[in-house]
Amino acid sequence: MILIKCPYCGERDQSEFANGGEAHIIRPKNPESLSDKDWGEYVFYRNNPKGIFYERWVHTHGCKKWFNAVRNTSTDQILKVYKVNEKRPDLSEFQNTLKSPSGEPSVGSGNFAVKK
Amino acid sequence: MSAIYNNCEYISKKQVKIIFDGKTYLAYEGDTIASALLRNNIRLVGRSFKYHRPRGIYTCGIEEPNALVQIISEHNEPNTRATIKRVYDGMEIISQNRWPSLRYDFGAINNILSPIFSAGFYYKTFMGPKGFWKNLYEPLIRRSAGLGKPPKNFRSKSTHQYHNTDVVIIGAGLSGLAAAKKFINTKYKVLLIEQDSYLGGVLKNSNKVKTINGLTSQEWISETEKLIFNSKNITILKNTLVTTYNFTNHLIALEDKFAGKKIDLNKSELTLHKIRTSNTIIANGHIERFISFRNNDLPGVMLASSFEKYIHRYGVVPEKEPVIFTNNSSTLSLLKKLISLGCKPKAYVDYRKKDNVETEVKKILKDKEIPFFSDAEIEGCDGNKKVETINIRQGKSFNKLKSSMLCVSGGYNPDIHLFTQSKGLVKWDKNILSFKPDTPFQKTITLGSTSGNYSFKKLCDEINEKLSIFKTKKVSLDINLNVPNKFSIKELWETKKKSNSHWSKSFIDLHNDVTTKDLKQAIIEGFDRIEHLKRYTTNSMGTDQGKISSINSLAIVSKMLKKEISDVGTTTYRPPYAPLSFAAIAGRSTYEFYDPERQTSIHTWHLKNNAVFEDVGQWKRPWYFKAFESETMYQAVQRESKMLRENAGILDGSTLGKIEIKGRDALEFMNLMYTNPFTKMKPMTSRYAMMLGEDGMIKDDGIICKISDQHFIATTTSSGAPKVLADMEEYLQTEWPNLQVYLNSITEQFSTFNISGPKTREIMMKVFPDIDFSNDAFPFMTFKNFDYKETKIRIMRASFTGELGYEIYIPPKFGLELWEEIFSCGKEYNLIPYGTETMHLLRAEKGYIVIGQETDGTVTPIDLNYNWMIGKNKKDFIGKRSLSRPDTSREDRKQLVGLLPINRKDIIEEGQHIVELNELPKKITNPIKYLGHVSSGYHSPNLNHSIGLAMIKGGKNLLGHKFFVTATGKTKNIPVEIVNPVFIDPENKRLTS
Repeated sequence: MILIKCPYCGERDQSEFANGGEAHIIRPKNPESLSDKDWGEYVFYRNNPKGIFYERWVHTHGCKKWFNAVRNTSTDQILKVYKVNEKRPDLSEFQNTLKSPSGEPSVGSGNFAVKK
Repeated sequence: MSAIYNNCEYISKKQVKIIFDGKTYLAYEGDTIASALLRNNIRLVGRSFKYHRPRGIYTCGIEEPNALVQIISEHNEPNTRATIKRVYDGMEIISQNRWPSLRYDFGAINNILSPIFSAGFYYKTFMGPKGFWKNLYEPLIRRSAGLGKPPKNFRSKSTHQYHNTDVVIIGAGLSGLAAAKKFINTKYKVLLIEQDSYLGGVLKNSNKVKTINGLTSQEWISETEKLIFNSKNITILKNTLVTTYNFTNHLIALEDKFAGKKIDLNKSELTLHKIRTSNTIIANGHIERFISFRNNDLPGVMLASSFEKYIHRYGVVPEKEPVIFTNNSSTLSLLKKLISLGCKPKAYVDYRKKDNVETEVKKILKDKEIPFFSDAEIEGCDGNKKVETINIRQGKSFNKLKSSMLCVSGGYNPDIHLFTQSKGLVKWDKNILSFKPDTPFQKTITLGSTSGNYSFKKLCDEINEKLSIFKTKKVSLDINLNVPNKFSIKELWETKKKSNSHWSKSFIDLHNDVTTKDLKQAIIEGFDRIEHLKRYTTNSMGTDQGKISSINSLAIVSKMLKKEISDVGTTTYRPPYAPLSFAAIAGRSTYEFYDPERQTSIHTWHLKNNAVFEDVGQWKRPWYFKAFESETMYQAVQRESKMLRENAGILDGSTLGKIEIKGRDALEFMNLMYTNPFTKMKPMTSRYAMMLGEDGMIKDDGIICKISDQHFIATTTSSGAPKVLADMEEYLQTEWPNLQVYLNSITEQFSTFNISGPKTREIMMKVFPDIDFSNDAFPFMTFKNFDYKETKIRIMRASFTGELGYEIYIPPKFGLELWEEIFSCGKEYNLIPYGTETMHLLRAEKGYIVIGQETDGTVTPIDLNYNWMIGKNKKDFIGKRSLSRPDTSREDRKQLVGLLPINRKDIIEEGQHIVELNELPKKITNPIKYLGHVSSGYHSPNLNHSIGLAMIKGGKNLLGHKFFVTATGKTKNIPVEIVNPVFIDPENKRLTS
């Protein structure tokens, strides 16, 4: 259970929040002008990377405000939170903080608890 | 052959009585069940999991694999570790997994049959025939294999407690106390957690440490405890076990509030501590491991340090003349203690070469004339339900000794469980022959033996160095020892059997009855990865998680595979560290607190009038009302439905979600959220509306009341209300922050009554004589506000039954009063209350859909023929674009139709399939063509036959076609006709009457 810092309320338990999937996906202004493929991509396609991920969270059992967060999906560390109207932070800001639990490889899982 | 008493400050002189398997025994206050039994010379306490072998007490703590008992006096709590559960007067305990008695257990036949019960036995043997597993094998196996019986139904009052601290110190032994001492009177908020009810750890469990800073161990503990206790920034939690180490330094610890006391049912028995900390210091010590040899499970075999702990911590010497078997230097203190008590070990067997054995050991053995076997090992032991003879191998010669106890030490493992749970990396240390913590993943510090430091003298430097990140003063520890400071050990995991017999076993996992032979077999069969091997053999999968044996099994496996142990790796350590009760996890979220009930303001009336309730979300809604005691639901619903269409009925609709939408841009917002156009809608009118997902599928429906362009009230389904409000909020905040709209849930601000039926107008006129209910003054789908007594009400003309109907909104405070008033006025018109089931039947007759019944997240408004609800001229609304996607505009999508049985006596039921065959083949070889399913099916009392609503592929173009629905449990199908889904009043005459 991780701690999440709501930009409005401060640090709270993860159980107070709900995840809203990938952030910075803007609803098309004029959906009718989109091709079926483009619209389908907006509705159904989302990224699911291992590593840095920009995503949306909502403080459901709190202020009910939506905000954005940068999370390392392989370690579950929340690297930054920012308000919806704030600019998306640059990826280079986080590259030094990346670490992987137990030195696991980038693909697949397994037992890597022993250091050699 | 018997136990003796040792004076011990942790045990009170007060005697208590306990009952074990029906017999009463005397114990001292402070004893554990195990120490009390040993005091009474009880060595046999249970039967093993698989082979029903007699088992005794193996350890003196949380790591116990054998001595699990059932506590009758505590709601029949099973699998309790006798080695940690403290006794109290009148405690009743029984042994587990035996029948008819512990001494004569019928299941022990499994031991004789054991050559066939090897690893994977169940997987290989009980394959068929079909049905035998469920009906024969599983019940039989469940009865014979296993542990305790489930507890009785009881009500736990466990609570949860939350902490936010700077430092948590796990374990208050020598290193934990020394670390805590550094934090005395500092700015750090510290939590010191100890599993036992006394602090001190190794200091109180043994005499390995003679003096610290000139004080005896006991004096040093009490002095340190006093200092810590008086320091305002440190809190001590005793009887508390840290079970879980999660991400972000989140720890979970379980506190036993009634350790050594009878549970008071009015108080919380367990507290689950949920701790957030910035830094964690793990100082939870080490666990001794055993050695595998023939019959290493016989009652009487015990770990050496546990034997030592019984003497020091519980004041009981289990046996005056045990045999000591070791491969390391730690047993010196036990030897010294036994000599000082006037006891004399039968023999001292050391696997190390004579030159490597400490001179002090050799001197004592020589002085006291104790037989000493160096470079020797225990081949095995024998006896009937207890150790009787012990076979020692030295070189090629064997020595048989008579003794009833054997103390074994196979070395120590740093207790890395919590460290690895925290995702830290471990490393093999060949000096201590065990894994020790290496790289922490979180802010974790390990101290003392947990970190693999077995040297008491180096501890002080270690603490000062590792804790230098904190602004604290240095501690100094001047330690005098009873054991050599340098730990010496010779690798030994398993001793060789003298002869190969199928029946003599050398166990690697005592809890799950796994033998070293099982490990070999698993490897031969190809399970050579440690995680596979663990699951195939169930090695270290018992409730003890192989605490005394898992490293041994890794070592044995690595030898067989001819690999380095660090290449074999460890299995994954997962929480919890030790089993914890579900009651503790649930805390107060049990019974009525588990899922709170929501009741309407009319609830008491419903109860008085024999309502049967249905759960809708958290709401309790009347399902139907019983007219007489033996009335069935079917009878009640038929009666209610008929009465309503003849006279009038009233439904408590307070549970319907209500959301108020206000603000400058409310109109634009509503036009975007719902399919319907609201721009041209007149104020004070209402409209049935639908909300879609962005994928074009129906999410929710409800009636929208437009008060003005800046003010709407939306109703939602009873269970969909929170989701609809959340979705609206999400769009407002994330997509359209430019819109000035405010949302408010007003579900509980109003009691809502839906009154409908041909006599409704008369009843309403009688209840509200000042209001004009004529069709001209109050047309269908309009609403008005009125003063009513000292409050205000809103009445809307709407209906979900197809009859003339009104909805009344009133503050809940006045709800019941008005409800009763309506009934007193409605009496002469035979007004009846009705429940949700009647509502469902009536709306089905009228062809109205229910969200979640006709729809399932894959249905568009077009599929339901609700094209009229779609504001085609609107530029945009949620889901609009998706309605023209190729998949959503397919002709052969499942579409809503009505079903009529051709033989009017046939019954159509919800969930039945619609097919083209009039009869199902006896044996189905090819998939049968499936057309759709029945989404609602009822017997209509007003039409006097069955009706159905169905979702059928391309249904819109199939009106008049004949198909079949499958009948439950029969091969003969029911012929049906596809019809328009509106069965009653298709012209809406009744609605607008």
